[in-house]
Amino acid sequence: MRREVVVVGDRETVTGFSLAGVARGYVHSSREETLRVIRGLLAEEGVGLLLLTHRVAEELGEELRRMLRGKGPFPMVLRIPDRTGYRPERDELEEMVKRTVGAEVVLRREEE
Amino acid sequence: MMAVSPTRMGLLRLRRRIALARKGHDLLREKMDALVMEFFEVLRRIYEAREGAFQQLARAHAQLSLCLASWGTLETEQAARETRKGVFLETSLRYVMGVPVPVAEVGETVRTSLGRGYSLLSPSLLDRASEEFERALKLLVEVAELEETARALAGELERTRRRVNALEYILIPRLEAALKFIAMRLDEMEREHFFRLKRIKAVLERREEAGGVPEG
Repeated sequence: MRREVVVVGDRETVTGFSLAGVARGYVHSSREETLRVIRGLLAEEGVGLLLLTHRVAEELGEELRRMLRGKGPFPMVLRIPDRTGYRPERDELEEMVKRTVGAEVVLRREEE
Repeated sequence: MMAVSPTRMGLLRLRRRIALARKGHDLLREKMDALVMEFFEVLRRIYEAREGAFQQLARAHAQLSLCLASWGTLETEQAARETRKGVFLETSLRYVMGVPVPVAEVGETVRTSLGRGYSLLSPSLLDRASEEFERALKLLVEVAELEETARALAGELERTRRRVNALEYILIPRLEAALKFIAMRLDEMEREHFFRLKRIKAVLERREEAGGVPEG
C-alpha cells in the first residue's frame, strides 16, 4: 500500500523536508494544536511515517506517549533531532530497551 | 483453591491439565528466548542505522541554514512550497514470529534540480540543501522501520512474559495444589472405607460367636 510521509516540528525541519518532497508538514506552535494534529494523523490510513522532532515530542509529553501506546505498525513514528541537533538524554528507545531488558535480567536471576 | 471433584476421574483430568500447562509453559519460554534474540539483533541494527541517519540530518540542517542565511528565509520557504511533492512509501507488513512489523520502501529520494520542480533560477545552495534532506529522508525511513520493529517485538515479549509468569506462578501451582488435595482426599476415603470394612467384619464375627447365626 502507498502511504505518505508527514513531518511535525520546527519551521526549519518542515522546510527541509518539504524541499525533499514531503507533502505534508506541520510547524509546531501550540501544544493543544499539535496534539490534535497528531491524533488526526495517527487515525489516518494513508500516513506511513510521521517524523516528529524530539523537542516537540518532549513538549507533548505523557499525552503523546499515551496516544502512541496502542498504535499498530502504521503509521510509523520516528523522533528526530531538530535543527539544533537536540536529542534527549533518555529517549523512548532507550526507555523501551531498559524496560524490556531490565525485566529480562530479573527473570534470568529467578531461574537460578 | 479451585473447585475440583475429589474423584479418580478428577485426578486424571487434573494430571492432564498440568501436563498441558507445563508444555505450554515450555513452548512460550522458547518463544520468549527467540524473541529476545530477535530483539537484540534489531537493536544492534538500529544503533548502526540511527547514527548515520542523524548525522546526515545534521548535515542537511547545516546546508539549509546556509541557504536560509544567504538566500533568505522567505525565498527558501517559498521554494519549499513550490517543490514537487512526490515522496511515497510502499508499505506492507512482515511477520516476525507471528508479530506484525512494518516494511516500508521509499525508492530513490534524491532528485535532479529539474525533478524538484522549483524555479531553476534558485541558487545551488538550495539544491544542496534539498539533496541533503532527500538523503536524510531515505535513511530515516530505514530507522523508523527498525524502531517500529523493535517496539512491536518488545510488546510481544512483554505479553509472552506475562503469560509465562501466569502459568509458572499462578496456574501451575494452583493445579498442583488441587492435585494434592484430591490425592489426600482419595487416600482418606480409602482409609475410611477400609475401616468400615473392618468394623463390619468385627460385627459379623461377634454375631457368629454369639451363635446368632445357625450353622449350616
